[in-house]
Amino acid sequence: MVSLPQRMRKLQTKLLAIRLGSGALVLPHDVARIHMRFAAKINGGHRGPRDFWRHELVRLKYHNPTVPMTIDRTLAATDAAVMEVHFSAPRDSTSDTPPTATTTTSPATSPPPTRLHPLPLTHLTAPDILAALVALTKATPVEATPEERDELQMLEQHRVKSARDSKLSLEVRARQRREAELLEQARGDVATA
Amino acid sequence: MTAPRYCPACLSGLTSASSTLLRSTTTRTTTIPSAITHQIRTATQSQNALKYRRKDIPASQKKKKSRSTFLQPDLKNAIQFSLVDAMRYIRASEVGRPPTSSKYELHLRLRTAKNGAVVRNRLRLPHPVKTDLRICVIAPPDSAQAKAAIASGAVLVGEESVFTAVKEGRVEFDRCLCHTDSLVALQKANLGRVLGPRGLMPSVKTNTVVRDVGSAVREMAGASEYRERFGVVRMAIGQLGMGAEELQRNIRAFVDSVKRDMAGLSDQTAKDLHEVVLSSTNGPGLSLDGRFASEDGLGSKELGVA
Repeated sequence: MVSLPQRMRKLQTKLLAIRLGSGALVLPHDVARIHMRFAAKINGGHRGPRDFWRHELVRLKYHNPTVPMTIDRTLAATDAAVMEVHFSAPRDSTSDTPPTATTTTSPATSPPPTRLHPLPLTHLTAPDILAALVALTKATPVEATPEERDELQMLEQHRVKSARDSKLSLEVRARQRREAELLEQARGDVATA
Repeated sequence: MTAPRYCPACLSGLTSASSTLLRSTTTRTTTIPSAITHQIRTATQSQNALKYRRKDIPASQKKKKSRSTFLQPDLKNAIQFSLVDAMRYIRASEVGRPPTSSKYELHLRLRTAKNGAVVRNRLRLPHPVKTDLRICVIAPPDSAQAKAAIASGAVLVGEESVFTAVKEGRVEFDRCLCHTDSLVALQKANLGRVLGPRGLMPSVKTNTVVRDVGSAVREMAGASEYRERFGVVRMAIGQLGMGAEELQRNIRAFVDSVKRDMAGLSDQTAKDLHEVVLSSTNGPGLSLDGRFASEDGLGSKELGVA
């Protein structure tokens, strides 16, 4: 059974990795949905989107739980990977990046107008994809609090100490194992002789 | 320089003049020093020493002390979460996965003896997790029971046809029920080799040999089974797409059911609940502290959709 302190350290490392790191951003309120489309295999430039989904998108989802984030991996390798960012507010004239897809007009009773901005993702790495998303949405990064920084430092120190102790005890155990083996060998020789 | 020298055997003093090494080699009369003849060692073992003599038991006879209960950690130093906080981390870890494919799972760690009775039962959750169970019914074809089974949603009904299919290896169902009238034919058909290892063989002990097939199929279709293994009861408790209130209802139902089972066991087996851990197909395992939401965390509405 793994001890409780060990389990808690492992858990804290994992949770801090979800809360902090690249992709830990708070999206502005007008981002309504993020949808990624890429292939199931990485051939053809789909490695970046897959890595973005597994790492950065996790942190984005943690900090923006109300934004639906979906993926669709049914594309063929030769198709272009795309990230569709849906905005709920109508396009404001001060925005740098003009939308390239349809804009729905809203009658009085329907949901607010959305616009869709597709980001091409093929052959981009995960950091590039993140940079493009930040440029498009103007998201604000999440900074680590002092407590979290202390926690990270403590965990790192523990990892270093643990590696050192592990190496030392490995030598001791190897020596003990060798002695036991020699003893067994000697016993075996006596038994057969 | 001229330190006094002693004979190492009898500790009698020697001078360099009388060193035996330098005596003439012809006369080799070696006299045993008198001290040695009187140096008979007697172990002075008092009664006290005998009593406290170290007993070296050979390793083969040493009894290793083994625990009779499973080790459960003291949770006062554990990091625990309210349900909504735990769901937030789990939903983040499962981002992008289909909402019906990833499942929440609950692990109940019990304080229990290692070799006692185990908790084992079936439960209908308020919000069922897996709704597409394929059930096979062994009943005489063209009987009322067979018709009832088909009406309740069984995927494969019959007797001989089922036996031949299973013997060929075509086991295309997840559960198997048998009508009491067909039990004899089932035993004769020797399907234990195929169904036994999969846990699908109908038997009286697992309540899979029934009289009223229709209601049994309906009950089975909505029911989740759980079983205690090595002091932990694990069960799928929800789909990713479920909200916090639905998950809470499922968790309450499951924990209440397990508590009732534990109380219903004989008084000799003392079992109680030690820890509740929520996890998911791709997420971390988070210990729950019993609260629904925390004061400075999110509310259940702010959790959003998957």
